[in-house]
Amino acid sequence: MFSFKWFKKKSPWILHYNAGSCNGCDIEILACLSPKYDLERFGVINCGNPKQADIFLVTGPVTYRSRERLIQLYTQIPEPKVVIAVGSCACTGGIFRSMYNVEDGIDRYIPVDVYTPGCASSPELIMDAVIQAVDIFEHKNQQLQSAKKLYRQPVFEQGRFCVSNVAKSLKDKDE
Amino acid sequence: MIESVFILLAPIIGALLYGFERIVKARMQNRMGPPLLQPFYDMFKLMQKRLYLIHAPHALFALLHFITLWMVVAFIILGDNLLYSIFLHLLATIFLIMAGFSVRSAYSHMGANRELLALLAYEPILILMAVGLYLYTGSFNISMIRTFSSSLPQLLLLFLSLALIIPVKLKKSPFDATSAHQEIVGGVEIEYSSWMFEFLYMAKCLEYVFVYLLVALFAGNSLSLALLLVATVFLMVNLVDNSTARVKIQDLMKMVLGFGLILSIMNIVGLYFV
Ligand code: SF4
Repeated sequence: MFSFKWFKKKSPWILHYNAGSCNGCDIEILACLSPKYDLERFGVINCGNPKQADIFLVTGPVTYRSRERLIQLYTQIPEPKVVIAVGSCACTGGIFRSMYNVEDGIDRYIPVDVYTPGCASSPELIMDAVIQAVDIFEHKNQQLQSAKKLYRQPVFEQGRFCVSNVAKSLKDKDE
Repeated sequence: MIESVFILLAPIIGALLYGFERIVKARMQNRMGPPLLQPFYDMFKLMQKRLYLIHAPHALFALLHFITLWMVVAFIILGDNLLYSIFLHLLATIFLIMAGFSVRSAYSHMGANRELLALLAYEPILILMAVGLYLYTGSFNISMIRTFSSSLPQLLLLFLSLALIIPVKLKKSPFDATSAHQEIVGGVEIEYSSWMFEFLYMAKCLEYVFVYLLVALFAGNSLSLALLLVATVFLMVNLVDNSTARVKIQDLMKMVLGFGLILSIMNIVGLYFV
């Protein structure tokens, strides 16, 4: 049968959300889209709309003010979706760790697929993360499709395919 | 025969044009740009995403917008009445505006408002263009217009005002306030997801075909001149898109209505007296 496999992989649309970061990592993300690094050659569009996005790029430790929006945005992205934590503070809290007004890292609230270290994370690392995210996206999509075939009905439950499973199965595949 | 093939392939031609345009724009910025088939990759990906449907009329309006636009393109290719095609195109835009007002999202309402204002700015110019072509050829019939020799020398000012409204129609800077992505997140298209958004995406591609078919009308019966005009306008629009910033919707109206209307009326008055 005709397969959509080759098509989906090439069109990751990005939603970028600043969950209280110092703006350092945001500038690096924008640098990725600039002529020097040119993320658009992989088909990436920085679309501001969660309903059309595939990859969720989050920067910053989650401040108390931003955590509701973080979850809202996450739930508004249609499955399959992939989350990338950009920068040390999105991964662990970074230099803001254990401050009175932040949660340490975004994985307290939403499942994260790819962690990008660095303060600020470099554009090369972010590009690498996006490329990996595309692979994970593809993998999740396959799981969704096979599940759909199995049960003859859509099984698009929120967070059904949690991160650790995907990461583990991807790792198994590599080995 | 060949017309029906073109009509059936119109969305695909539009998508290829859009893909090509993204490459041209990237090269102008010294980037590599996405592959030519990128719009198709986007479409197939959108088909696999989960659908969030707001309510049935909202989805229906997107569908109607797409189908009406396709009919407009079909009528122009078949050589039907120009004025009729322009009014049908107006109907297609009205469907889009109604889609924007049918949901409760503030951004969607704002996008629809701006769409309406932009419509007020460019619609008179499109109609005056039809009037100008009528005065030159004596007919609103597109197949008739295509038998005449090029009307470019007589209708140069009308052609310029058409070139002025192309960025409004294709949502390019400086006149892209209707779908400003960083500001109102795409305007009317905000609530669409998955394959419902695909209809808007394809409608955007059809919009390309529509606009460049109008440009080609000025070349009359010479095909090479038509290609030359389309290529020149295509390059100019992208150059301007790359080198300007977005203007506010009020300024858009002032600029388009001010320059466009004055140029068009001057041209028509000139035609009348000369
Ligand atoms: S990781 Fe460093 S540079 Fe990035 S947002 Fe946090 S504090 Fe700023």
